[in-house]
Amino acid sequence: MRCALLVAAIAIAGLGGCKSSAREVVVYTSVDQPFSQPVFEAFEKQTGIHVRAVYDTEETKSTGVVNRLIAEAKNPQADVFWANDPVRPFLLIDRGMVEPYAAPNAAGIPAPFKAADGTWTGLAARARVLLVNPKKVPSAEQPRSIKALADARWKGQIAIANPVFGTTTMHVAALFTAWGDERAQAFLSDLKANDVRIASSNGEVKRLVATGEVAFGLTDTDDAHEALEDGAPVEVVYPDQDGDGTPIMPTVVVLLRSSPHGETGCQLVNYLLSADVETMLAAKAAQMPLRAGVPVPKGVRSVGELRAFAMDYPSVAKTMARIQPVLRTWAGL
Amino acid sequence: MCGRPWQERAAVALAGAVLLASVAAPLVVLAADGVHADARAMLTAASTWSLLAWSSALAALVTAVALTVGVPLGVLLGRTDIVARRAAFLAHAFPMFLPPLLLALGWFHLFGQSGLVGSDATARILFGPAGVVGVLGLAFAPIMTALTMLGLDAIDPSLIEAARLLARPPRITARILVPIAWPAIALGALVVFSLAFSELGVPMFLRVRAYPAAVFARLGGVDYAPGEAFVLVLPQLAIGAALLCIERRAIGRRPLTVLGLRRDRLVFALGAWRPIATAACWAIALLGLAPIAALASRASWRELGSWLGASARNGLIDGAVAATAVTAVGLVIGRGVARAQAPARALDALAVLAFVTPGAVLGAGLIAVWNRPATQLVYGTSAIVVLGYVARYAVLGTRPIAIALARGAASLEDAAATVGAGYLRRLVRIVVPSHARALAGTWLLAFVFCLRDLETAVLCYPPGGETLPVRIFALEANGRPAVVAGLAVLHALITAGVLALGLALLRARRTW
Repeated sequence: MRCALLVAAIAIAGLGGCKSSAREVVVYTSVDQPFSQPVFEAFEKQTGIHVRAVYDTEETKSTGVVNRLIAEAKNPQADVFWANDPVRPFLLIDRGMVEPYAAPNAAGIPAPFKAADGTWTGLAARARVLLVNPKKVPSAEQPRSIKALADARWKGQIAIANPVFGTTTMHVAALFTAWGDERAQAFLSDLKANDVRIASSNGEVKRLVATGEVAFGLTDTDDAHEALEDGAPVEVVYPDQDGDGTPIMPTVVVLLRSSPHGETGCQLVNYLLSADVETMLAAKAAQMPLRAGVPVPKGVRSVGELRAFAMDYPSVAKTMARIQPVLRTWAGL
Repeated sequence: MCGRPWQERAAVALAGAVLLASVAAPLVVLAADGVHADARAMLTAASTWSLLAWSSALAALVTAVALTVGVPLGVLLGRTDIVARRAAFLAHAFPMFLPPLLLALGWFHLFGQSGLVGSDATARILFGPAGVVGVLGLAFAPIMTALTMLGLDAIDPSLIEAARLLARPPRITARILVPIAWPAIALGALVVFSLAFSELGVPMFLRVRAYPAAVFARLGGVDYAPGEAFVLVLPQLAIGAALLCIERRAIGRRPLTVLGLRRDRLVFALGAWRPIATAACWAIALLGLAPIAALASRASWRELGSWLGASARNGLIDGAVAATAVTAVGLVIGRGVARAQAPARALDALAVLAFVTPGAVLGAGLIAVWNRPATQLVYGTSAIVVLGYVARYAVLGTRPIAIALARGAASLEDAAATVGAGYLRRLVRIVVPSHARALAGTWLLAFVFCLRDLETAVLCYPPGGETLPVRIFALEANGRPAVVAGLAVLHALITAGVLALGLALLRARRTW
């Protein structure tokens, strides 16, 4: 018993070690930890500022930390939010939780990928792709559109991530915005009728395709890149390149209002928007650089090569909030 | 009769304050938010009830598997001469102390499409209701085994001696041992049902619909709605309350001493059946370890340090502090429960409800209550994780201590009181020394459960303060599988080390 008390006393002393220190910055991010953590480590090395991070889990991506930011709004804990999609930051912008900040490094980012008032700035983008297992899909029958997910030819052999969470929510919301509710709901119904597998995450879709449990699935470029890196038997199809195009999703950085460490927060925002970070993310996560002059690694498409699905991010954000009951019902939740 | 009665009232009030601050206040705040939700529509929706029924059925099947495996194993390991039965029990029990999601990950490495023995057929079974039932049933079976063994310990050896004159061991087991042990078995079934019903990670990982996922969708989806999450938790709390009533009716009338811990055990000799029974027991025990072995076979130790960060240290520190708080609160409330005091029983009921409340809901409530400038010292540090652990696992302190104290001689304390010893003095000088081993065991149990916790910590850990299970969960989908497997094995090794050290200390201090 005395041992237990001694351990507890040492541990209580250790709790203090988690308190804030002066030269630090707090960042919440839904960018995958395997890719964001090395970026934060590089920032720490370069500036000496300690980064304290809260990462999203794949299952709640990318809403978990957004919800935590909303829940903490009355007493903000974070300085910076680095989102893995361009839509969810608008849930914070609409609530007045974002501080406009025109970071010097934002100058190199093309205008369509940043707000004129500095509320948000994009970098390193991903695209939605169809990940195909060639053992299950003959090359002549390779899907070219997301509409193939509703094709009876592939009944029970396709997968998407749960649309209640993650980038799939954003993609479905973009469809509702562009197509209108009736057509989008019909598409969802067709998917269900086609026995689409609802995976817990895009990473899980990758796993299902890579292992041949399904013929193909809808996921993100970084997940597809991981499968290719692992040597999985998969091929990547950028869908609807002769039609509506595919959603392009820059990661987005915002500075949070009333942040506890304002100055270091600005420093981190500026660093995240640097060419170095886009280079790192292109190399490690196959993310497409937005600024000119950043080398695009072999196998990674550049944004200019793709036909992008037309998206007005604020409108998609509003649709995303509106269709939640529809998505929950569709997912059986 | 008791000297300084205010001390006892103050101690109970303090323990109660801890539970009110960590359990009741968060739930009340969420309930207030839930008033704005359309509770009636949500609770009368057919989809709500069909999902509730589906999850209840899954939990019932998990309980059935746990009973089928755990009760016979409890009888065999508790009352027969199985070879190395203590080691078999430890091997069988170990997975219980690991996060179920980690075990599911291990089973995936075994039976997934590209698993060690995987195929399309095994993957289809694993990623479905049968997989959830199997994974959770095996994970929770040790609870049934342990409680069956505990229940069997309560049996008066003279009864068995008398029965042996007339009947053979199987008949004695069926007619005497199991019926007498049934309160403990029933308690185990209720615990397993509660755990299975509130499990979120495994059904989500194995792509099976579950009621907790519907609750979580209100917290992890786009329209953050903690009030709606609370409304959806109400049926879960009702089930928890019903289970508590059943448990109190089933066990409450019996003195807590019948729950076991006698030392005069009689062991049946299995004779010719001994090799077969030994093989069966060890096979089940090793089956439970199979997912950990699968993870170990896939693990890589390179780069582990950089991905581990401070997560293991965070978990150990948070867990140690929380276990101490759980033991302290458990000592005060457990003593009250052992003496059938109403306030203590009410607080114990609150602890039970917190145990069945989804960790994510409790976490959302903790944010709502504690994220204020005045309480930044709590919310901005790992203290918030500790508070969450205390809320979720307080019942692990109150129950074992209540049982241990009920077995002890209250007369010692009463005698001290008659000569004027106050409550605190009696607690420190009599209760703690005479039950030090039970208290240390309780601390160890609470510590290990805090180490395995995922759902409470994931929603409210301070920036940079994540624990190892949280880190594994965050890396699970996109981290390198070998690194994730390595972290999972490391977690298992840390847990094993803690248990081994704790049990060795407990054994070394048998005089406690």
